[in-house]
Amino acid sequence: MTALRRHRKLSAIWSSEPGFRGWFSSVNHSDLGRMFLVTAFFFFLVGGVLAMLIRAQLATPHSAFADAGAFAQFFTMHGTIMMFLFAIPTFEGLAIYLLPKMLGTRDLAFPRLTAYGYWCYAFGGSMLLVALVFGIAPDGGWFMYPPLTGPLHSPGINTDFWLIGITFVEISAICAAVELCVSILKYRAPGMSLDKMPIFAWYALVTALMILTGFPPLILGSVLLELERAFGLPFFQADLGGDSLLWQHLFWLFGHPEVYIIFLPAAGVISTIIPVMARTTLLGYGWIVASAVALAFLSFGLWVHHMFTTGIPLMGLAFFSAASTLVAVPTGVQVFAWIGTLWKGRPEMHLPMLHIFGFFFTFVIGGLTGVMVAVVPFDWQAHDTAFITAHLHYVLFGGFVFPILAGIYYWLPLVSGRKRFFRLGEVAFALIFLGFHGTFLAMHWVGLMGQRRRIETYDAETGWGAINLISSISSFIMAIGLAMVLIDVLIHAFVAVRGGRNPWKAGTLEWASMSPPPAYNFASLPHVTSRDAFHGDPGLANRLAKGEGYLGDPQSARRETLTVDIATGDPDFMVIYPGNTRLPILMAAVTGLFFLSILIKLYWLTPLALAGVAALALVWVWRLGARTDAGPQDAGRGVTLALAGETEKSPGWWGSVFLLVANATFFGSLLFGYAFLWTVAPGWPPQDWLAPSLVELGIGGAAALTSALAMRLAIRGNRHRARPLPGLAFALTATLVTAVTFAMLLSRVPPPDGHAYAATLFVLGSYALCHALIAGLMLAFAIARARRGYTSPARQAEFHIVSLWTDYLAVIATLSLLAAHLPGFLA
Amino acid sequence: MKDVLRILLAPLLWLASFSATYGLHGIGCALGWPEIALWGASVFRVALLTAWLVAILIQVAILIVLHSDRFRAASAFTQWASLATAWVGLVAVLWTVYPVAVITACGGNG
Repeated sequence: MTALRRHRKLSAIWSSEPGFRGWFSSVNHSDLGRMFLVTAFFFFLVGGVLAMLIRAQLATPHSAFADAGAFAQFFTMHGTIMMFLFAIPTFEGLAIYLLPKMLGTRDLAFPRLTAYGYWCYAFGGSMLLVALVFGIAPDGGWFMYPPLTGPLHSPGINTDFWLIGITFVEISAICAAVELCVSILKYRAPGMSLDKMPIFAWYALVTALMILTGFPPLILGSVLLELERAFGLPFFQADLGGDSLLWQHLFWLFGHPEVYIIFLPAAGVISTIIPVMARTTLLGYGWIVASAVALAFLSFGLWVHHMFTTGIPLMGLAFFSAASTLVAVPTGVQVFAWIGTLWKGRPEMHLPMLHIFGFFFTFVIGGLTGVMVAVVPFDWQAHDTAFITAHLHYVLFGGFVFPILAGIYYWLPLVSGRKRFFRLGEVAFALIFLGFHGTFLAMHWVGLMGQRRRIETYDAETGWGAINLISSISSFIMAIGLAMVLIDVLIHAFVAVRGGRNPWKAGTLEWASMSPPPAYNFASLPHVTSRDAFHGDPGLANRLAKGEGYLGDPQSARRETLTVDIATGDPDFMVIYPGNTRLPILMAAVTGLFFLSILIKLYWLTPLALAGVAALALVWVWRLGARTDAGPQDAGRGVTLALAGETEKSPGWWGSVFLLVANATFFGSLLFGYAFLWTVAPGWPPQDWLAPSLVELGIGGAAALTSALAMRLAIRGNRHRARPLPGLAFALTATLVTAVTFAMLLSRVPPPDGHAYAATLFVLGSYALCHALIAGLMLAFAIARARRGYTSPARQAEFHIVSLWTDYLAVIATLSLLAAHLPGFLA
Repeated sequence: MKDVLRILLAPLLWLASFSATYGLHGIGCALGWPEIALWGASVFRVALLTAWLVAILIQVAILIVLHSDRFRAASAFTQWASLATAWVGLVAVLWTVYPVAVITACGGNG
């Protein structure tokens, strides 16, 4: 087969539908990565316009430009959009677009999940935009502290838009994180062991793991606050056993890691670009990986440093102050590794490097002011002043926007297949750099003079007027610079002349595909022998196009790729992807109906929407699999591999593992909230405990454990005798008994709107009931699949996935029952 | 996956011990442990110092285990990275939990 014929055949198999219809049915990572990035930058523009409105208002004392209510919506939506609708989705878009190419494979692990995540993001973000357009946008600040945002002080729908819209968007982040973890660990080119992974993949892996463990506390907080607002469950009301400080803990358990979730991908971009621009290899690859891991973990030990002024005991403050200073060390290691890389190479000053230098200058200043505010006495003085606003912008703009702009200019030739023509970018960089520092250096200054953040006006006598005017003028200069970047990119994408492959002479595999890359990325998959696989082997691209790698002989209409052993990179299984489908957008729309029904209090619609999501999920998984054993498949280069569905640990199993990590974090955060309220909140102990019942405790716990054990019996029965049904039926019965136990527990809980204790038990019981129902649904599905012939001793993957969920049910059901009954027994 | 876990283990246990110590500190303050004398100090101080010591010993144990032939990673890179993060875990425990030895028990900042 000639290279051209192979290209045509693969294009026919992998391409999305032509025209705009393709937007709705595409599951291709390149399409969806671009859609994520375009949408994220649209939101960046909206957030930028809001920033201009804020600066217009603050430019002069007693400005009549906006009233306090509108101003509150401006700054709340600015922060919300930049954090949730720009920064995280930009990382997702970049990783979704680039990683399969960098890792030498054809797509991500779960293409339909990528599409579902995108549509959840688009619909959730649109919800917030609608609120903004109609003047009912959230107005409680981007961290939404109760009691300000509670039902007493914010009775309107504004706060609900935030809680519900952001939770909807976070589904997208969790989907992307699961997707990226499995893809990076399993979907790599053969031979790409952990030490040969591109550095960006390490950063993306660490970031994805952080999203899985960082976002659930905020999702929990949003659920609890919405329950308080909609149904009066008093989690944050001190007079009913709640505590508004619980929100701060849950929010910052997410919020501080979020800073590093934003920074680490940008650091991955920097670590990728610098060695290429310096014509050398990355200095201290292992040190950088260890630093990224260290940074990720340490960032979870810093959350209280946002709460230094809340009256927490001094020893608690000292823990977090110490951790906050320590986090500077791994950051410093990375910065020195980048400087060392520049030192040992021969740096060339292309446009991406200008933005990298912008990053160095800005981020280091932001890091140093970060160490300042980590020192408790200084923080007491600077807290909630414009100094903090300036610090966070130095960290986030310096640590994210500059590197991402560098990344845009670096990868633009790959995405477009063109080369830059006009030189607008250099002028744009100068305006952005000068405008940024003019805006935020001034803001440090006025903050130290006492200007609070989020005030809509100030007196002329304060002496802040001139500084604010400088800040506002500079911000408009920065905005002009960013607009020029947009124009530059548009000109590049549509007008610039065609360029050649790999203009930067980079070594990573994305440059070994065509520019722009075809839907299938590589006509055949490479065998990787070094970290910069393309650098030492310039003929690689042609050999791959000729089909000399793995899977170079396309089979009928199958979208094929292969997975590898996590550590060694040896090929282990072959994967056949599903094709284009509108199922993800449909499921995201029905998921949106669920959130919308809560937002507008159309509660009759809520169970219908949930049932719709469950039905679509069943259709989603039913379409996978086969009714006959396929046996070993030829993967090329003399390698034969089993299909992933004929293994114990299929991609779905790995996806469930990572989803359950996020789920367990959610559950752990709920238990933390319970313990926190018990030990810290006023109004405890409550008047009435749940009447303890040994019978309920025993039956519920035993049933959940039996369900997990019976599932193992089903797996054994399938493996040895192809008879999984008895075990599955037994497991389903035990799961239903677990569900009934929790339904009974919920019926006995004291009124949940009377005290935070009862409210917490209500949520705990509902969580366990929900998981019993999910496990029951999965077991019923497995029974139906087994009866229809979709399983065999070889085709066993689905049973192992269900087993993970019954195991998880056993753990959380037991813990929930103990948490519910033990206090009553002890009392 | 074992190789990834090797790299993540020590910092994960640091996070667990750091959070547990903070939680123990909260429980101790709520239950009035600083007022209960024990061995010339208070129950609060003894409990937290014990927690710190246990956390340090766990990190030291991880370092020793990762050095041992039995648990050594097959890949030189993974071995190096896991030892590096194990040292991070130990230093982090020493640095971030040392306030249990020197700071006022449950005093506020007001």
